[in-house]
Amino acid sequence: MGMAQQRGGTLTVGLGYDIDTLNVYSTGFLGDVQAAVVEGLVAPNEKAEYVPVLATRVPTVQNGGIKVAADNKSMVVTYQLRPGVKWSDGKPFTSADVKFTWETVKDPKFIAESKDGTEDISSIETPNDLTVIVNYKRVAPDFKSTLFTFGILPKHALEGKDLNTDKYNQMPLGTGPFKVTQYVKGQFVVLDRNPNYWGKDKAGVQLPYLDKMIFKIIPDSNTLVTQLKSGEIQMAYSVPYSQIPQLSAQAGLKVIKNPVLSWQHLDFNLKGPAALRDINVRKAMAHAIDRTTISKALGGYPIPISTVVVPVFSYSNKDVPKYPYDPAKARQLLEAAGYKAGSDGIRAKNGERLSFNIMSQAGRATDEDAQQVLIAQMKAIGIELKPDNKAGVAFRDARYKGSYDLFYSGWITSADPSYGVFFGTKGVNNGQGYSNPKVDALLATADSSLDPAVRNKALRDFQTVLMQDLPSIPVTSNPSMIVVTDKLGGFVPNPTNMTNFVNTSGWYLKK
Amino acid sequence: MSLSYIFKRLLGMVPLLLGVSLILFGVLHLAPGGPLDVYADNPSVTQEALDNMKRAFGLDQPLPVQYFRWVTAFFQGEWGFSIRSAQPVMEEVLARVPATLMLSGSAFLLALIVALPLGILSATRRYTGVDYFITLMSFLGISMPVFWLALMLQLLFAVQWKILPSAGMQTIGDGSLPDLLRHLILPVFILAFASVAGWSRYMRSSMVEVLSQDYIRTARAKGVSSRRVTYSHAFRNALIPVVTVVALDSASILSGAVITETIFAWPGLGRLFIESMNGRDYPVLMALLMVGSFALVLSNLLADLAYSLIDPRIRYD
Repeated sequence: MGMAQQRGGTLTVGLGYDIDTLNVYSTGFLGDVQAAVVEGLVAPNEKAEYVPVLATRVPTVQNGGIKVAADNKSMVVTYQLRPGVKWSDGKPFTSADVKFTWETVKDPKFIAESKDGTEDISSIETPNDLTVIVNYKRVAPDFKSTLFTFGILPKHALEGKDLNTDKYNQMPLGTGPFKVTQYVKGQFVVLDRNPNYWGKDKAGVQLPYLDKMIFKIIPDSNTLVTQLKSGEIQMAYSVPYSQIPQLSAQAGLKVIKNPVLSWQHLDFNLKGPAALRDINVRKAMAHAIDRTTISKALGGYPIPISTVVVPVFSYSNKDVPKYPYDPAKARQLLEAAGYKAGSDGIRAKNGERLSFNIMSQAGRATDEDAQQVLIAQMKAIGIELKPDNKAGVAFRDARYKGSYDLFYSGWITSADPSYGVFFGTKGVNNGQGYSNPKVDALLATADSSLDPAVRNKALRDFQTVLMQDLPSIPVTSNPSMIVVTDKLGGFVPNPTNMTNFVNTSGWYLKK
Repeated sequence: MSLSYIFKRLLGMVPLLLGVSLILFGVLHLAPGGPLDVYADNPSVTQEALDNMKRAFGLDQPLPVQYFRWVTAFFQGEWGFSIRSAQPVMEEVLARVPATLMLSGSAFLLALIVALPLGILSATRRYTGVDYFITLMSFLGISMPVFWLALMLQLLFAVQWKILPSAGMQTIGDGSLPDLLRHLILPVFILAFASVAGWSRYMRSSMVEVLSQDYIRTARAKGVSSRRVTYSHAFRNALIPVVTVVALDSASILSGAVITETIFAWPGLGRLFIESMNGRDYPVLMALLMVGSFALVLSNLLADLAYSLIDPRIRYD
């Protein structure tokens, strides 16, 4: 087998942000460290498909794990839990912990950002230690992407405590392959092998292989790269594209491309300048974008896309209306719609010039570079774009309120995304004011059906309608670049919002 | 200078800081966005959850009420809870103070020890090779961007020669003093370099001015050795304008070095400030800004006291 001699060792990972809390339900980040410590009942794998973790199987209608009521208005999900699982402090993991998780997260006194999914549940029964019966108020096909996937809370350690301030937030207790042994704020988190971990490899060897994982907090991306080069860290993700060529040349390191579930898009604010409500203007702009040039400007890593559903998903629709790069056609569309070029080359109609602000996130180099290309490409057809970039909270605020003309950025989703938040009339991330009852209806169908055929059809049709309306131009899907030591084995990148660290037990360092 | 004078000055700080706090609070809340926008980045956050959090943090109250609540609590030593981490603000700030004191304090002392002699050397050897060299280095120090110099030194010492760590405060699992000192070398040097450059220029010009005064000429004419003229006649008088600059800069010992701390992953107050700013973590921001303001007011007082120590003619009542 040879695996045994590859046990042991410490992997030091560089994190580009400072951790706020290690509670998966409270953090404003995706939770890299947490993923190695706290486990859920199921988790998405590298293909964004859910696999069992603390449950013995993923409940589906076919395997009897999901029973939909006759009136199609509610459902019951039954989980069989893995026997013999222990918390890292040695106490047994049972169905009571699952019920406790729901009750705790739902509690209004608990200040959490991720309460999603708690309201859909009416009650939970625990007939025995290893069975959990969850009664849903509605048919919720996205039930896997929230509550019990994020992580299970330990009842014995948290009962009666205030989870808002409890030391669990610094030292979470989990069932995962590692446990937190030291957390120094602003500096690092040390994870040690969890001796009580339930996982074994195919040869029956106790997992995880690694003795230790260290997460070092290094907010500056240049420093992160320096630390990779000096060997002070052995892994970093989301490394800027511009740094990749020199890191690939570095001995001892290897670069891995992770096609994350995100897409870059150019949005129109439909509550903004009147010209942006003219479909001809939007179509012309879509034809004016050369995605290959944008990709090249970013080192060739981004993949051109023509729909908002990234290609990883089976329901990504390749037959949506497309707007291939064709500046001549773009000019013709604008000409026909009455936009004539002025003396400065910028088109105008009835005195209204096609001149807009384009917002992007200040300081995010890849987006700012793409923005420059977009500005040049629009100028070629007589549309003026002026950069109006904002940072941090100001950027988010503008995005949600729609205080921009055009907006270039990216969205990332879970393995089981709900597109209603972006394109639904009431979607929280729909700052651009897009509204189409047809889209709302299709998304509602997708969000309330367990039949894959029905969901796929609704989501495919939604993409077609969206690309006819063109409130948003999908531009590229930007992979995340991961740089690791070439000694790291057993690592597979994870494209979902459960991060690359969702399955660390099989990682090992070659001697 | 009397104790009652110091007491009066300290008492005068209270209304000043109160006014400062009002302005800071207003400016912070005028800036777009709020602490909960961070969560809105996650598409799975519901409006109900956001509303609950708003209520829990008191963000649903009108601004004057929020300010009044904050100010009364703050002056009672009740600094509230961080919105980002849910930990007491006092704890968050105190956890970062040692790192900042160590970094900024060492850099401050180093800069002081180097800058003053350099400035004097430069002034007494005016228009010689030594002076030109020091001047050149000073301008390099003032005009070189911190992040660039830091990156170059990291590459040289950590990547090429592998003799110093490129960032962080300790080798994980090794909390020893030599290890800490090794981690301090690069950031302290970078931070001190810029200060040395500025301060030595002040020292030089102040010294040049004093050295051209009549009483110095008289002393020289009377045959006092040039060493004695420089150090016992000119130095003290030349020090006064320098003290002003140095004392005001000393406030940064407490407010932290934002860029240096970020580049070197140093867990100090400057970095805490940036993170809190990005998250609009009002309780932490207000605490940090107040600590910074307090340090500034205090260093002003120290500067005044230092004057009277250097020059006995300056007295306060």
